[in-house]
Amino acid sequence: MIQAYKYSILYFLLFSLLLLLSSALLFDAKIGLSIESILHYYQGDAKHFVAAKSFGGILKIILPHIFAFGLFMMVILHFVVFTKYKQQLHYLTLASFTLALLELFSPFFIIQGFEFFAYIKLVSLFTLEILLLYILYLLQKSIYL
Amino acid sequence: MRFTLIKDIKRDNTMKPIINGLLLFTLLYLVSDFFVSYHSFGLFSQQLKNTLFGNMEEFIEPISKGALLEYLHTQIFFMMMLLLTLSAIFARLCSKKRYMLTLINTVMLSAILTIIALAFTYFLTPLLLNLYIISYFTWHTAALFMVLISLWSLNRDSSV
Repeated sequence: MIQAYKYSILYFLLFSLLLLLSSALLFDAKIGLSIESILHYYQGDAKHFVAAKSFGGILKIILPHIFAFGLFMMVILHFVVFTKYKQQLHYLTLASFTLALLELFSPFFIIQGFEFFAYIKLVSLFTLEILLLYILYLLQKSIYL
Repeated sequence: MRFTLIKDIKRDNTMKPIINGLLLFTLLYLVSDFFVSYHSFGLFSQQLKNTLFGNMEEFIEPISKGALLEYLHTQIFFMMMLLLTLSAIFARLCSKKRYMLTLINTVMLSAILTIIALAFTYFLTPLLLNLYIISYFTWHTAALFMVLISLWSLNRDSSV
Protein backbone atom coordinates (compact mmCIF):
# COMPACT_ATOMS: atom_id res chain seq x y z
CA MET A 1 0.00 0.00 0.00
CA ILE A 2 2.85 2.40 0.81
CA GLN A 3 4.25 1.74 -2.65
CA ALA A 4 0.89 2.71 -4.20
CA TYR A 5 0.93 6.04 -2.33
CA LYS A 6 4.49 6.65 -3.52
CA TYR A 7 3.39 6.07 -7.12
CA SER A 8 0.37 8.35 -6.70
CA ILE A 9 2.49 11.16 -5.28
CA LEU A 10 5.12 10.72 -7.99
CA TYR A 11 2.46 11.03 -10.70
CA PHE A 12 1.00 14.01 -8.85
CA LEU A 13 4.43 15.66 -9.07
CA LEU A 14 4.50 15.02 -12.83
CA PHE A 15 1.06 16.61 -13.16
CA SER A 16 2.32 19.55 -11.09
CA LEU A 17 5.21 20.03 -13.51
CA LEU A 18 2.77 20.07 -16.43
CA LEU A 19 0.58 22.54 -14.54
CA LEU A 20 3.50 24.91 -13.93
CA LEU A 21 4.65 24.61 -17.53
CA SER A 22 1.16 25.27 -18.90
CA SER A 23 0.74 28.29 -16.60
CA ALA A 24 4.02 29.83 -17.84
CA LEU A 25 3.05 29.19 -21.49
CA LEU A 26 -0.43 30.58 -20.87
CA PHE A 27 1.01 33.71 -19.26
CA ASP A 28 3.28 34.18 -22.28
CA ALA A 29 0.45 33.60 -24.78
CA LYS A 30 -2.18 35.78 -23.08
CA ILE A 31 -0.19 38.53 -21.35
CA GLY A 32 3.44 38.37 -22.47
CA LEU A 33 6.69 38.18 -20.57
CA SER A 34 7.74 41.84 -20.69
CA ILE A 35 6.76 44.74 -18.41
CA GLU A 36 5.36 46.61 -21.41
CA SER A 37 3.12 43.74 -22.46
CA ILE A 38 1.81 43.37 -18.89
CA LEU A 39 0.97 47.07 -18.76
CA HIS A 40 -0.70 46.92 -22.19
CA TYR A 41 -2.73 43.86 -21.19
CA TYR A 42 -4.13 45.44 -18.02
CA GLN A 43 -4.16 49.15 -18.85
CA GLY A 44 -5.18 48.72 -22.49
CA ASP A 45 -3.37 49.65 -25.69
CA ALA A 46 -5.05 52.07 -28.10
CA LYS A 47 -2.56 51.26 -30.89
CA HIS A 48 -3.55 47.58 -30.93
CA PHE A 49 -7.21 48.17 -30.00
CA VAL A 50 -6.83 46.43 -26.62
CA ALA A 51 -9.37 47.56 -24.02
CA ALA A 52 -8.25 48.17 -20.43
CA LYS A 53 -9.23 45.48 -17.93
CA SER A 54 -11.91 46.35 -15.40
CA PHE A 55 -11.99 45.53 -11.68
CA GLY A 56 -14.78 42.98 -12.29
CA GLY A 57 -12.96 41.41 -15.24
CA ILE A 58 -9.81 40.82 -13.20
CA LEU A 59 -11.83 39.47 -10.27
CA LYS A 60 -13.55 36.99 -12.61
CA ILE A 61 -10.16 35.67 -13.75
CA ILE A 62 -8.56 35.43 -10.32
CA LEU A 63 -11.59 33.99 -8.51
CA PRO A 64 -11.07 30.31 -9.47
CA HIS A 65 -7.30 30.81 -9.08
CA ILE A 66 -7.63 31.91 -5.44
CA PHE A 67 -9.17 28.55 -4.57
CA ALA A 68 -6.95 26.55 -6.93
CA PHE A 69 -3.71 28.17 -5.66
CA GLY A 70 -4.73 27.53 -2.05
CA LEU A 71 -5.67 23.90 -2.68
CA PHE A 72 -2.64 23.10 -4.82
CA MET A 73 -0.16 24.64 -2.36
CA MET A 74 -1.87 23.00 0.60
CA VAL A 75 -1.57 19.57 -1.08
CA ILE A 76 2.10 19.84 -2.03
CA LEU A 77 3.10 21.53 1.24
CA HIS A 78 1.33 18.95 3.38
CA PHE A 79 3.40 16.21 1.69
CA VAL A 80 6.53 17.98 2.98
CA VAL A 81 5.34 17.23 6.56
CA PHE A 82 6.13 13.55 5.92
CA THR A 83 9.68 14.21 4.73
CA LYS A 84 12.93 15.07 6.51
CA TYR A 85 12.61 18.64 5.16
CA LYS A 86 9.73 19.54 7.45
CA GLN A 87 11.89 22.08 9.34
CA GLN A 88 11.77 24.21 6.14
CA LEU A 89 7.97 23.96 5.93
CA HIS A 90 7.25 27.17 7.87
CA TYR A 91 9.34 29.30 5.49
CA LEU A 92 8.13 27.46 2.38
CA THR A 93 4.48 28.01 3.40
CA LEU A 94 4.99 31.68 4.21
CA ALA A 95 6.92 32.36 1.00
CA SER A 96 4.59 30.46 -1.34
CA PHE A 97 1.35 31.94 0.02
CA THR A 98 2.82 35.50 0.06
CA LEU A 99 4.06 35.17 -3.52
CA ALA A 100 0.72 33.75 -4.66
CA LEU A 101 -1.07 36.66 -2.99
CA LEU A 102 1.17 39.19 -4.77
CA GLU A 103 0.79 37.40 -8.10
CA LEU A 104 -3.00 37.29 -7.86
CA PHE A 105 -3.72 40.78 -6.56
CA SER A 106 -1.06 42.93 -8.29
CA PRO A 107 -3.31 43.50 -11.39
CA PHE A 108 -5.70 45.55 -9.22
CA PHE A 109 -2.86 48.02 -8.53
CA ILE A 110 -1.76 48.03 -12.19
CA ILE A 111 -5.19 49.19 -13.38
CA GLN A 112 -5.07 51.95 -10.73
CA GLY A 113 -1.95 53.30 -12.48
CA PHE A 114 0.74 51.87 -10.19
CA GLU A 115 3.00 50.61 -12.98
CA PHE A 116 5.57 49.29 -10.51
CA PHE A 117 3.16 46.40 -9.79
CA ALA A 118 3.82 45.05 -13.30
CA TYR A 119 7.31 44.17 -12.01
CA ILE A 120 5.77 42.61 -8.92
CA LYS A 121 3.40 40.55 -11.08
CA LEU A 122 6.23 39.19 -13.24
CA VAL A 123 8.74 38.62 -10.44
CA SER A 124 6.19 37.01 -8.10
CA LEU A 125 4.99 34.64 -10.84
CA PHE A 126 8.45 33.36 -11.67
CA THR A 127 9.66 33.28 -8.06
CA LEU A 128 6.56 31.28 -7.15
CA GLU A 129 7.15 28.88 -10.04
CA ILE A 130 10.79 28.39 -8.97
CA LEU A 131 9.76 27.91 -5.33
CA LEU A 132 7.12 25.34 -6.29
CA LEU A 133 9.68 23.54 -8.47
CA TYR A 134 12.00 23.45 -5.45
CA ILE A 135 9.22 21.94 -3.28
CA LEU A 136 8.50 19.37 -5.99
CA TYR A 137 12.22 18.56 -6.09
CA LEU A 138 12.29 18.01 -2.31
CA LEU A 139 9.26 15.72 -2.52
CA GLN A 140 10.65 13.76 -5.46
CA LYS A 141 13.94 13.31 -3.58
CA SER A 142 12.08 12.06 -0.49
CA ILE A 143 10.08 9.47 -2.43
CA TYR A 144 13.27 7.63 -3.40
CA LEU A 145 14.76 7.67 0.10
CA MET B 1 -6.74 12.66 3.97
CA ARG B 2 -8.03 11.25 7.24
CA PHE B 3 -9.28 8.06 5.58
CA THR B 4 -5.67 6.96 5.09
CA LEU B 5 -5.25 6.86 8.89
CA ILE B 6 -8.39 4.89 9.82
CA LYS B 7 -7.74 1.21 10.49
CA ASP B 8 -10.89 -0.31 9.01
CA ILE B 9 -12.59 2.19 6.78
CA LYS B 10 -15.38 -0.26 5.86
CA ARG B 11 -16.61 -0.28 9.45
CA ASP B 12 -16.16 3.40 10.20
CA ASN B 13 -19.58 5.03 10.65
CA THR B 14 -18.40 8.55 9.90
CA MET B 15 -16.00 8.06 7.00
CA LYS B 16 -17.86 5.34 5.05
CA PRO B 17 -20.76 7.56 3.86
CA ILE B 18 -18.34 10.40 3.04
CA ILE B 19 -16.16 8.14 0.89
CA ASN B 20 -19.30 6.70 -0.74
CA GLY B 21 -20.44 10.23 -1.59
CA LEU B 22 -17.04 11.21 -2.95
CA LEU B 23 -16.86 8.08 -5.11
CA LEU B 24 -20.37 8.67 -6.42
CA PHE B 25 -19.53 12.25 -7.37
CA THR B 26 -16.29 11.11 -9.01
CA LEU B 27 -18.36 8.65 -11.06
CA LEU B 28 -20.74 11.46 -12.04
CA TYR B 29 -17.79 13.69 -12.97
CA LEU B 30 -16.24 11.06 -15.21
CA VAL B 31 -19.52 10.34 -17.02
CA SER B 32 -20.35 14.05 -17.37
CA ASP B 33 -16.85 14.76 -18.68
CA PHE B 34 -17.53 12.37 -21.60
CA PHE B 35 -20.64 14.32 -22.59
CA VAL B 36 -19.07 17.75 -22.11
CA SER B 37 -15.99 16.74 -24.14
CA TYR B 38 -18.19 15.25 -26.85
CA HIS B 39 -20.32 18.39 -27.19
CA SER B 40 -17.58 21.02 -26.83
CA PHE B 41 -14.06 19.89 -27.69
CA GLY B 42 -14.78 16.64 -29.47
CA LEU B 43 -14.05 12.99 -28.71
CA PHE B 44 -13.52 11.46 -32.14
CA SER B 45 -11.07 12.10 -34.95
CA GLN B 46 -13.04 14.37 -37.32
CA GLN B 47 -14.64 16.47 -34.60
CA LEU B 48 -11.25 16.95 -32.91
CA LYS B 49 -9.61 17.93 -36.23
CA ASN B 50 -12.31 20.56 -36.72
CA THR B 51 -11.74 21.97 -33.23
CA LEU B 52 -7.94 21.98 -33.38
CA PHE B 53 -7.25 22.89 -37.00
CA GLY B 54 -10.58 24.34 -38.20
CA ASN B 55 -12.53 23.40 -41.31
CA MET B 56 -12.67 25.78 -44.29
CA GLU B 57 -15.64 24.00 -45.88
CA GLU B 58 -17.77 24.28 -42.75
CA PHE B 59 -16.42 27.76 -41.83
CA ILE B 60 -15.02 26.52 -38.51
CA GLU B 61 -12.14 28.57 -37.08
CA PRO B 62 -9.24 26.65 -35.47
CA ILE B 63 -8.89 26.98 -31.73
CA SER B 64 -6.45 29.73 -30.67
CA LYS B 65 -3.19 28.96 -28.87
CA GLY B 66 -4.43 30.79 -25.77
CA ALA B 67 -7.74 28.90 -25.68
CA LEU B 68 -5.99 25.52 -26.06
CA LEU B 69 -3.49 26.32 -23.30
CA GLU B 70 -6.37 27.43 -21.08
CA TYR B 71 -8.17 24.13 -21.77
CA LEU B 72 -5.02 22.09 -21.03
CA HIS B 73 -4.28 24.08 -17.86
CA THR B 74 -7.80 23.48 -16.49
CA GLN B 75 -7.77 19.80 -17.46
CA ILE B 76 -4.40 19.21 -15.76
CA PHE B 77 -5.65 20.75 -12.51
CA PHE B 78 -8.87 18.72 -12.42
CA MET B 79 -7.13 15.49 -13.44
CA MET B 80 -4.38 15.76 -10.83
CA MET B 81 -6.77 16.48 -7.96
CA LEU B 82 -9.29 13.84 -9.03
CA LEU B 83 -6.73 11.11 -9.68
CA LEU B 84 -4.70 11.74 -6.53
CA THR B 85 -7.83 11.44 -4.38
CA LEU B 86 -9.18 8.46 -6.31
CA SER B 87 -5.90 6.54 -6.27
CA ALA B 88 -5.50 7.18 -2.51
CA ILE B 89 -8.99 5.76 -1.84
CA PHE B 90 -8.46 2.89 -4.26
CA ALA B 91 -5.09 1.97 -2.72
CA ARG B 92 -6.66 2.08 0.76
CA LEU B 93 -9.63 -0.12 -0.16
CA CYS B 94 -7.95 -2.57 -2.54
CA SER B 95 -4.50 -2.88 -0.98
CA LYS B 96 -4.53 -6.68 -1.23
CA LYS B 97 -5.54 -6.84 -4.89
CA ARG B 98 -2.80 -7.76 -7.34
CA TYR B 99 -4.09 -5.45 -10.06
CA MET B 100 -4.12 -2.38 -7.77
CA LEU B 101 -0.73 -1.03 -8.86
CA THR B 102 -1.40 -1.84 -12.53
CA LEU B 103 -4.63 0.17 -12.50
CA ILE B 104 -3.04 3.14 -10.71
CA ASN B 105 -0.13 3.17 -13.18
CA THR B 106 -2.50 2.81 -16.15
CA VAL B 107 -4.82 5.64 -15.10
CA MET B 108 -1.99 8.04 -14.22
CA LEU B 109 0.19 7.36 -17.26
CA SER B 110 -2.69 7.51 -19.73
CA ALA B 111 -3.96 10.75 -18.15
CA ILE B 112 -0.51 12.36 -18.47
CA LEU B 113 -0.27 11.03 -22.03
CA THR B 114 -3.65 12.64 -22.85
CA ILE B 115 -2.28 16.09 -22.00
CA ILE B 116 1.05 15.59 -23.77
CA ALA B 117 -0.56 14.04 -26.88
CA LEU B 118 -3.07 16.89 -27.24
CA ALA B 119 -0.37 19.56 -26.88
CA PHE B 120 1.93 17.79 -29.36
CA THR B 121 -0.95 17.24 -31.81
CA TYR B 122 -1.66 20.98 -31.87
CA PHE B 123 1.92 22.31 -31.79
CA LEU B 124 3.89 19.59 -33.59
CA THR B 125 2.06 16.98 -35.64
CA PRO B 126 -1.59 15.96 -36.21
CA LEU B 127 -0.38 12.34 -36.37
CA LEU B 128 -0.64 12.11 -32.58
CA LEU B 129 -4.38 12.74 -32.58
CA ASN B 130 -5.21 9.02 -32.33
CA LEU B 131 -2.83 8.69 -29.38
CA TYR B 132 -4.82 11.44 -27.65
CA ILE B 133 -8.12 9.64 -28.32
CA ILE B 134 -6.78 6.28 -27.10
CA SER B 135 -5.24 7.75 -23.95
CA TYR B 136 -8.39 9.79 -23.22
CA PHE B 137 -10.58 6.69 -23.33
CA THR B 138 -8.01 4.62 -21.44
CA TRP B 139 -7.77 6.97 -18.44
CA HIS B 140 -11.54 7.44 -18.29
CA THR B 141 -12.20 3.69 -18.46
CA ALA B 142 -9.49 2.90 -15.90
CA ALA B 143 -10.79 5.61 -13.55
CA LEU B 144 -14.36 4.32 -13.92
CA PHE B 145 -13.14 0.81 -13.02
CA MET B 146 -11.31 2.17 -10.00
CA VAL B 147 -14.45 3.98 -8.78
CA LEU B 148 -16.67 0.91 -9.29
CA ILE B 149 -14.18 -1.48 -7.64
CA SER B 150 -13.75 0.95 -4.72
CA LEU B 151 -17.54 1.26 -4.29
CA TRP B 152 -17.89 -2.53 -4.41
CA SER B 153 -15.05 -3.05 -1.98
CA LEU B 154 -16.37 -0.39 0.44
CA ASN B 155 -19.94 -1.72 0.55
CA ARG B 156 -19.40 -5.48 0.13
CA ASP B 157 -19.39 -6.18 3.88
CA SER B 158 -22.35 -4.00 4.78
CA SER B 159 -22.00 -4.21 8.55
CA VAL B 160 -22.42 -0.42 9.06
